[in-house]
Amino acid sequence: MAEIPDRISPLDGLFEPGDFGAVTNSPGVEYSQRLCGALVQVQAWPGTTGKVEAVLKQVLGLPVPKARLAHMKDETILMSTGPGRWLVDDEMEGLEEKLRKALPSDLGALTGLTHARVVISVSGEKAEWVLSSGIAMDFHVNAFPGGGVQLGHHHEIGVTIHRLGANHFELYAFTSLAHGLWHWLTHAGAEVGYRVT
Amino acid sequence: MKITCPYCGERDHREFTYRGDATAIRPSIDNTSLDDHQAFVYDRKNTAGTHRELWNHTSGCRTHVVVVRDTVSHEIFSCEPVGPFAKQLARNVAKLKGAGA
Ligand SMILES: [Zn+2]
Repeated sequence: MAEIPDRISPLDGLFEPGDFGAVTNSPGVEYSQRLCGALVQVQAWPGTTGKVEAVLKQVLGLPVPKARLAHMKDETILMSTGPGRWLVDDEMEGLEEKLRKALPSDLGALTGLTHARVVISVSGEKAEWVLSSGIAMDFHVNAFPGGGVQLGHHHEIGVTIHRLGANHFELYAFTSLAHGLWHWLTHAGAEVGYRVT
Repeated sequence: MKITCPYCGERDHREFTYRGDATAIRPSIDNTSLDDHQAFVYDRKNTAGTHRELWNHTSGCRTHVVVVRDTVSHEIFSCEPVGPFAKQLARNVAKLKGAGA
């Protein structure tokens, strides 16, 4: 088998560690990036939602979250992203194969997105403020609580947002559009100061 | 203009794609009348007032919704899920309303 080359983030070369923007005692927001070991979208057919939920629960060992919520365990995140649709993020490779074996095509459709997304972490006291400045959705914790998942966009750049806590978000960005999203985040963060780690 | 998606909640209309008149019904495949097919593809009333139309939440959950909108004032009167997951979504709408979203 041909050797698989190391994965390269679309943000490599742009992601420069350091403090930027407004100079304060501590930066308002902190950015970091990561690649998923495996990222898989699961879509049930109309009428198979219950069966797919049972398979996900069994394979991942996680309860299936209700609409717009996520459940996490160890290195696995299971997110509800639409009717009969989930996104599974796993630090370990091989999840897609495992799910393919457990989910025959008469139960649902699997789409491998491992190489199609980069995850940008946005945290800090001003994280909500920074994201609100360019993504038109209600970020108030009552509408978008910790453990919540929302899909939206920043100027046509689609993004899936997982809120881990009041001041911590993970953005699943399209690799092909990650440059654009990152560019905006640096401008939006400049006003409050941002740290890249 | 804001559209309340039955899955995601209230969102800016720019997250949605306009999919046209929801009352236009595609003629049956057995119907060989060119006029009927022509009418389905091209003939629209261009209503000034209440209009039933399809939108897709392209930047969100990709659900299709039927929106009833006033084309003059852009007031939106209702937004209902359609398609194979409509029933499941209708239950979600009740929860969204309960949560005040
Ligand atoms: Zn939606």
